[in-house]
Amino acid sequence: MTVGVEHYVLLSMALFAIGLFGILTRRNALMFLMSVELMLNAANINLIAFAFYHGNLSGQVFALFTMALAAAEVAVGLGIILLLYRNFRDVDVTVPTTMRW
Amino acid sequence: MALLELPAWTALAPALLLALTAMALFIIDSIAPDSRNSGLLAGTTAAGSIVSLGVAVWYLLAGVGTPTVDGGRGVIDVLGNQFVVDQLALFFMVIVAVVTALVAVASYDYMEDHTYQAEYYSLVLLAATGMSFMAAANSLVTIFIALELASLPSYALVSILKDNRGSVEAGLKYFLIGALSSAIFVYGISLVYGATGHLQLENIAAVIEAGEVASDGGHEIADVGGLLGLGILMLIGGFAFKTASVPFHFWAPEAYEGAPAPISAFLSSASKAAGFVIAFRVFTEAFPVAETASAIGVDWALAFIILAIVTMTLGNFAAATQNNVKRMLAYSSIGHAGYALIGLAGISAGGGELVMGAAMMHLFVYGFMNTGAFLFVALAEYWGVGRTFEDYNGLGRRAPVACFALAIFMFSLAGIPPLGGFWSKYFLFTGALEAGLLVVAAALVINSALSLYYYSRLVKAVWIEEPAVERETLSQPVGLYAAIVVAAVMTLALLPLFGPVADTAVDAATAMLA
Repeated sequence: MTVGVEHYVLLSMALFAIGLFGILTRRNALMFLMSVELMLNAANINLIAFAFYHGNLSGQVFALFTMALAAAEVAVGLGIILLLYRNFRDVDVTVPTTMRW
Repeated sequence: MALLELPAWTALAPALLLALTAMALFIIDSIAPDSRNSGLLAGTTAAGSIVSLGVAVWYLLAGVGTPTVDGGRGVIDVLGNQFVVDQLALFFMVIVAVVTALVAVASYDYMEDHTYQAEYYSLVLLAATGMSFMAAANSLVTIFIALELASLPSYALVSILKDNRGSVEAGLKYFLIGALSSAIFVYGISLVYGATGHLQLENIAAVIEAGEVASDGGHEIADVGGLLGLGILMLIGGFAFKTASVPFHFWAPEAYEGAPAPISAFLSSASKAAGFVIAFRVFTEAFPVAETASAIGVDWALAFIILAIVTMTLGNFAAATQNNVKRMLAYSSIGHAGYALIGLAGISAGGGELVMGAAMMHLFVYGFMNTGAFLFVALAEYWGVGRTFEDYNGLGRRAPVACFALAIFMFSLAGIPPLGGFWSKYFLFTGALEAGLLVVAAALVINSALSLYYYSRLVKAVWIEEPAVERETLSQPVGLYAAIVVAAVMTLALLPLFGPVADTAVDAATAMLA
């Protein structure tokens, strides 16, 4: 018995919504990064499920690229968070307020 | 002619040359890691981007990408159609290369005392490579990869002044919003892929036009209209981030203010242009207006009409209330994103190639005048005169050349005839009228009039106001001066040159919409 594609989409949408919720509510930069990771992986679930559904491989290959890019993004992000900690002694994203609009 | 037929991948040479120069910088840095020879590094960067510029211009003149019926060599596909090199791609490769060269030359002075010279210049080149590839990317996969290649070095560049709190804060905000928007973008791609089964742009268009997916468990496109519509909406979010338009604009003032000024110039000109080229390509190639509208029930051009009006109004009104010059320019850059969005808003109507061509011209002129304006801010930061309008008072007496150039940039940004900025806005205006977008055309005029207020305020501060403090003679850093003067000369030289630029832009737009 195979699982229908709509279940995968529901799963990925739930994951995406959890990630988005995390971004909107968390103040810790590391939690923010994890939430973004959840959203990216929600897209990966979609891509793989749809690749299976459509019977072509481009979605699966793209998911591999997305994972690599997510890793690169985390590398840059952690560097910036490290700088944040060095300059502000905190990883709370609401602390740096030298500029206001 | 067939004597010297280059292989197809060489059509990407403008982008590849930028990547190659970045590699050359890595090699230079690994040979002499402790050297801070900024002349060598900035020179290599500038030379690489000028060669890239030369190749792109040569391709344009030689007819690469021009349809064969018009006597050109036709659009060139690379890597199984993952990249295409057409006039649109070459036009934007030119913009990216020009801005990169100007920024590299200006950085020679601005980053003089910085510890991480080689890293800085190679990051600039890697970001430029990404932007150049964005111009040619023809599938959602390559678009996303090129976009990330442009974004990741930009995050690092904004926060490269590691001990400067403003720079780190700017980098953090840019990164957080960028990561969020790229997650939204890739989720949008996955939904579009789910609805159509393809990632390549013309295949997506073919499926939408046919109205059904022909794979095993095939379905009608109309049945997944909601999925497709949501996907398109999320793609628009990704473009909005890259072009700094509403609703993902709020990183722009922070990032531009905190970043080193040459990087603000780079991001607000080249990065914005690259964001627009992918938006142009995706929406003209992948989502044919009428068929997509019947599938998802809404005309996506409507979204761009709203975004254009909101973006230009918000940007200009916010710019008018600023006291900090760099921040004013940041908001004005949001306003200009709104002007360029008219190009997408008008596509669906007849005469869409004129508006889209006008948007491309505007981005081209903007590449000079806005880069020049931010480089003037870089010069002011180099002098250490302060950041507000009052701090700029009376600079004209001490540095007449640079301040004259600033006046040119400001009046061109405001759209005063006969400067380049006027002509591109004029074409946007007539194009919008022809496309029947009266409200958009009216918003353009009102916003331009408003923008004259805050642009001329800066010119007035520099030339007419009395200086608050008596100043010593200001130094004349060679690189910054050269970059500013070149940008000013090009802004003026666009008067006689505007014809060919406009022709190329309209040709490119016509080819895309055909």
